Amino acid sequence: MKIIYSHLKTWLPDLAIDAKKLRDDLTLIGHFSSGYEEIDSEIILDLEIRQNRADCLGYYGIARDLAVFYKINLVLPQINTINYSNTPVPITISSPDVHRIQATSISNIKNSLPPDWLIRFLKLHDINSINTLVDLTNFIMLEWGIPCHAFDTNKSTKLIWENNQRYSEFISLDGTKIKLQPQNLVISDGKEVLSLSFIGGQNSGINLDTTDSILEMAVYNRSRVRNDSRSLKTITEASIRLDKELDTETIPLAFSHLISLILKHCHAIVSGKLLDVYPVKIPPLPIAFDSQKPSLYAGIDIPQNDTLKRLGCTIKNNLITPPSLRKDLTIEEDLIEEILRFYGYNKIPTDQPVDPTPLPDITPPILYLIEKLKDDLVALGYDEVRSWPLVRHCEEPCDAAISTQNSINSDYPYLRQSIIQSLQNQYFQYEKYKLINQKFYEIGKIFSLENGQYIEKYALGMYNSDSEELSRDARSCVSTDKIKLDGSFAQIILDDLPKPDKYIPQIINNTAIELTSQIITLDANVSYDSPQDSTKLIEKYTSLIDPSILWSIEIADIYQNRYTFRVSYYNCDALTAKKVHLNTFNLN
Amino acid sequence: MDNLSKIQSESKTKIKTATTSAELEKVHIELLGRHGLLHKLFSDIKNQPDPKAYGQQLNRLKNEIEELINKKSLSVETHDRASPQKNNKTVFSLPKLGHLHPITITERQLNELFRKLGFSLYDGPEIETDEYCFQRLNVPIDHPSREMQDSIYIHEPEHLLRTQTSSIEARLLTQEKPPFKAAFPGRTYRNEKVTKSNHFIFHQYQGVAVDKNITLKDAIGTFNTLFKGLYGNDVHARYRCKYYPEVEPGMGFDLECFSCHGAGCSICKGAGWIEMGGAGIIHPKVLTMAGIDPKIWRGFAFALGLDRWVMAKFNIKDIRTLLGGNLAYKPNEP
Ligand SMILES: [Zn+2]
Repeated sequence: MKIIYSHLKTWLPDLAIDAKKLRDDLTLIGHFSSGYEEIDSEIILDLEIRQNRADCLGYYGIARDLAVFYKINLVLPQINTINYSNTPVPITISSPDVHRIQATSISNIKNSLPPDWLIRFLKLHDINSINTLVDLTNFIMLEWGIPCHAFDTNKSTKLIWENNQRYSEFISLDGTKIKLQPQNLVISDGKEVLSLSFIGGQNSGINLDTTDSILEMAVYNRSRVRNDSRSLKTITEASIRLDKELDTETIPLAFSHLISLILKHCHAIVSGKLLDVYPVKIPPLPIAFDSQKPSLYAGIDIPQNDTLKRLGCTIKNNLITPPSLRKDLTIEEDLIEEILRFYGYNKIPTDQPVDPTPLPDITPPILYLIEKLKDDLVALGYDEVRSWPLVRHCEEPCDAAISTQNSINSDYPYLRQSIIQSLQNQYFQYEKYKLINQKFYEIGKIFSLENGQYIEKYALGMYNSDSEELSRDARSCVSTDKIKLDGSFAQIILDDLPKPDKYIPQIINNTAIELTSQIITLDANVSYDSPQDSTKLIEKYTSLIDPSILWSIEIADIYQNRYTFRVSYYNCDALTAKKVHLNTFNLN
Repeated sequence: MDNLSKIQSESKTKIKTATTSAELEKVHIELLGRHGLLHKLFSDIKNQPDPKAYGQQLNRLKNEIEELINKKSLSVETHDRASPQKNNKTVFSLPKLGHLHPITITERQLNELFRKLGFSLYDGPEIETDEYCFQRLNVPIDHPSREMQDSIYIHEPEHLLRTQTSSIEARLLTQEKPPFKAAFPGRTYRNEKVTKSNHFIFHQYQGVAVDKNITLKDAIGTFNTLFKGLYGNDVHARYRCKYYPEVEPGMGFDLECFSCHGAGCSICKGAGWIEMGGAGIIHPKVLTMAGIDPKIWRGFAFALGLDRWVMAKFNIKDIRTLLGGNLAYKPNEP
């Protein structure tokens, strides 16, 4: 949810805090604001509103929170009294998914291109301007967090809210055909669908010629809206609000604000009665609250304060009734959080960790075995690799392979049945980068379907081009005949092996390199008068080459005091490598 | 399509019968080379009745052939030792060292810090049930937070690849008797496209402490100890309110940006802070569902995302590198 700093001040005229501090404070009380930007000489804050706080998908809810935090007054917009007529609005509600709806008819509309302030306001909220009437409905949604909608009544004379039973499709405002499903909440005129709960339709849309309209604001069963929006694969500004718990009690204020603005800006008159259908009113329930609990949960003494009262809770002894707007407050812990977030998590001391006295060890022994094997293999010179557990192909028997149903990475549909599959892929990757003579291992899960059960086991996979050494190394790690050798690869299932009762691994701090180009390996022959100390030679040449491109130096051959150095370069092109190589070994 | 399956089986046979690397190379050129069979088929796509489906089939076939040839080349190499470099044993080199993967290194550092605070480790399956991945964490079927976590299903709607290591928490709470403290690193999955900066596999580090009088101060003090252990005493962390369904009160925590030290830069998107994870007091419903009485026991739970952290520490620019096979270690250097 984006908020314009200057507009927020229309709700909070006493707000006297700079925008950066405001951003940090909003973050502190639960509305994470990653940054702020200045657009068109306005400061815009982008807030992450969590799913439980639908009330904050409008200025109203955010302003209420800030009024509590800064202890300043919240000032509601000026709303004129509306004089409704006695003519009933031609609306039938036959869906139980409508939790509350207010609606009325207006006539003599002089719709127009919107005023600049309105176009600009919507643009800063990433909403396109259409015409004054439609823009005002969007304005109200941003102000109060509750969507509302206008129907052109010259196009349809009655409106029915129903769960779909007979309509097959619907054309949305932008002309998109949406295939309907049974039970979708639709608004029809008895002949065709004019609108869905969260998106307006082409056949009842408001344009500059519209003179008569029905305006409505409603709160629905959020699960219905969520299902409709998901199953019809359509997400709108309205759906992201209506699929959450919205406040039916805010409707009268927000709706009269809408009508009052439309009368003002479209010079219209109210020609209908106020329709208010509110089938089941569910008042907020009182919560038993122990005022000591915030201190017990925080671990520090939280002084008694009037946060809950300022939030609009009704307090009767130890029973706290939250305001209707705050659908997220249902248990004592919710109230504790309210007190703590306004007190400030940042005031809780940071220097005392949880009591470090050990409790009984519940570590599964296989985790100790894994850590021990990692240390053993690193000591034997093996590098650890990690790879995707999803692979392209299944192995025999293929019907024991587990596959994913809906992965968008559908080229990799199978969960690996053997860790060797992963190591082979790793081998080819290294070969692609011309990395040779590697010894590496991976420990990870392998998967199979056995008797209808999903089975996962831990497996160790090893690769070593020297298969004799491989077999020796594998046997030195695990005393088992269960080593599966396959050329340069080995696999050992770990679940069935004996496991240590405890193992504290070494803390190893090695570096790792992200290869982005091939390793370039070049030889150089250098002749000496007498036998040389190989280590010293390697050290000498290592010091001569820029470490950011030197991969390794080895001595490949020694023949009558002629030393063949084999140098591998990385992170550079072949030309650079050659140049460095020639310079280092004086081969020019 | 019949044509393609015929080509598929013929190709398989050709690859199977190649016994030397030279023969295999011949097959490779014949099938995948610039003037090879697949190339011809690809250039004919637009003349097919359903070019898109045909193209997808061809792609699959190409991948399959590539993989078969790759696999086969492993076995022919042991026959004829094609590459001279592989054959050449070096006369002398500095000792070749083994290395741990950056994720393991980071997990171990965290494990060690938690071990000193008396924590065990814990583990759970990667194929999870909806119950343990969501419901037991106070995320019922139509909860709005499910939008955020598009899951990879094994068998919809019951079995999926776990989207969060909280599923291990749900199992731990059910299986163990309090009091306990445990940490659990693990791999998680979301149905997302793989790009330079986004992956479908994530690494999380999660944990819980359940005892009689656990407080937010315990949680905050624990994280601060952790961050100091990892980054030294100057580290600057921020603790703030944040909603998660499985905790109440809930908390998010950030570290001051290591790049700009709070001033705001591109790495922290101007915020001056980098999001590290979430935590909170375990929701009483979560404890109750696990058979733990919330009137007696209270606990904190936390989760850290490791990927960005590891990337920053090891100077890895592309997230795909973490599991992509192009991560390597200098053989003679630690
Ligand atoms: Zn920064």
